[in-house]
Amino acid sequence: MFESLLFAVFAGIAIGCALGVVFHRNPVHCALLLVGVLLSVAGIFILLHAQFVAALQVIVYAGAIMVLFLFVVMLLNIKGETPLLTPGAAKGFGFLFALIVFVELIWTAVQPAAEGQRMAEALPLPADFGSPAALGRVLYTVWLYPFEITSILLLVAVVGAVVLAKRKFF
Amino acid sequence: MDLATLIEAVVKVHVVLGFVLVAVPLIVWMERKVLGHMQDRIGPQRVGPFGLLQTIADGIKLFMKEDILPSQSDKVVYFLAPAISIVTALAAMTVIPFGDTVWLFGREIALRITDVNIAILFLLGATSMGVYGIVLGGWASNSKYPLLGGLRSSAQMISYELAQGISLIGVIMITGSLSLNEIGRAQEKLWFVVPQFFAFVIYVVCSVAETNRAPFDLAEAETELVAGFHTEFSSMKFALYFLAEYANMMVVSGVAITCFLGGWHGPLLPGPLWFFIKLTFFLFFYIWLRATFPRLRYDQLMAFGWKVLLPASLLNLAATAVFLTVKG
Amino acid sequence: MPPTVPLVWYQILAAILFTIGVVGVLVRRSALVIFMSIELMLNAVNLSFVAFSRQHASMDGHIFVFFVMAVAAAEVAIGLAIIVAIFRNKETASVDDVHLLKG
Repeated sequence: MFESLLFAVFAGIAIGCALGVVFHRNPVHCALLLVGVLLSVAGIFILLHAQFVAALQVIVYAGAIMVLFLFVVMLLNIKGETPLLTPGAAKGFGFLFALIVFVELIWTAVQPAAEGQRMAEALPLPADFGSPAALGRVLYTVWLYPFEITSILLLVAVVGAVVLAKRKFF
Repeated sequence: MDLATLIEAVVKVHVVLGFVLVAVPLIVWMERKVLGHMQDRIGPQRVGPFGLLQTIADGIKLFMKEDILPSQSDKVVYFLAPAISIVTALAAMTVIPFGDTVWLFGREIALRITDVNIAILFLLGATSMGVYGIVLGGWASNSKYPLLGGLRSSAQMISYELAQGISLIGVIMITGSLSLNEIGRAQEKLWFVVPQFFAFVIYVVCSVAETNRAPFDLAEAETELVAGFHTEFSSMKFALYFLAEYANMMVVSGVAITCFLGGWHGPLLPGPLWFFIKLTFFLFFYIWLRATFPRLRYDQLMAFGWKVLLPASLLNLAATAVFLTVKG
Repeated sequence: MPPTVPLVWYQILAAILFTIGVVGVLVRRSALVIFMSIELMLNAVNLSFVAFSRQHASMDGHIFVFFVMAVAAAEVAIGLAIIVAIFRNKETASVDDVHLLKG
């Protein structure tokens, strides 16, 4: 009962803040509402026994990536655009495509599981599910190769960001 | 969750909150007295014995001041920014262990508000969210100096967060757990400051930078940027920022004590008393640093964080990992 | 201990967040808000992954979320650098004004 209440609260906050991100005029308000979405999704992660991923969400996503967003918005001093939405028929088509995507996703989600496949029930969890130890055990053995590639990807991103943000090339 | 656990949690929260609210005036008094004596003067001495009531008088003065709201400021964010600072600082206090366990009223009560198995990650998350209090305070004031001060301050904080976190990983590797309670308990025989001395030094330097204290306080120094990000805040909002800064100092000192200086372990006195003695020593060290070192220029500060502390903490991590693997 | 909230509700929430993100990308004109809507979509996908991971009691979903976060961080860094570079040139952050290649 407690879990359902928490889920309802977090889901409500997430959807409310998400709507705010898309429909607010001031980019700083949009960024702060996105932080609200990230924090409520982190709460939902904890409901799903994913403690380490929830902590990563707060530290990396809400605590570093969004600070970067806020820095850029504040330094560029961008005011909100007028009018708010794309003008003309493109706006209608945008909402229509979004509706199509929504219907498709909901239909896939609520379909009953096919015959012969695993039941759509939650399996019992091991004791340390979602803890850093469990994640580390899988990350450094099965997924070692993508892990090393990701480190190179991050290096490329750092070098690229520094080069792109320079004022002149020597 | 039964009623007894709920009452226990509520009482503990109130006790810790009361402790913070009582300790901050004492820390401020200690700072003014110690700074005074180190600068060859006496400090407050008229209000109350030894000037002890000076901070209370200052608090009453702050409370009575007019609450100014700049007309072009963003009202909601202006209101929210000091709240974010103090909430994250107090949230980080919940996982710091003040002692082991006591037997009271027939129950075994642990001397900490709670203990999550990812306590260190929780602390890192709380300090990451604390950056928002500063950057939003600087922006919401809609004024040059606060914006610059806020951006500089938050850039400094996110730079030193990295080295701070990495310096703790050595301790985590030795203990094998992220829980502060486990780390505190594991230091019964040997305090981790001995095997992890360089990590301790790096952690302390990073904490001073994280809390925007001297010598890393360029972003809020009077001679540089008026008062930095909290220029336009008055009365209770300023008091909240002030409170948040000292609460943050207590949090990082508490983490340093738990991870490196043995937590609540000590020869004769009970656990919490040793914790408070170590905490007082740490806060005295903070004030000593303020009295002794000149301020670092901003580019020196950032260069120090990225080019010196981060590689040093990574080296410490690598050396600890190699040593632990070889030891078996 | 089985969850009291059926897992399909988490998928529906992820679908709603994803759709709101799609609306944001298609309908807004500020490059920064479009970027934020992309982050919203990535978060919806993360939520879906973690819900499935809970259902199958496997850590693979968490691994995916880990990598998605790392890639999102890299993408945000580069994307914001590009937006800053464009802003320096054209003094605008609206995607409608970047139309030099238009027929």
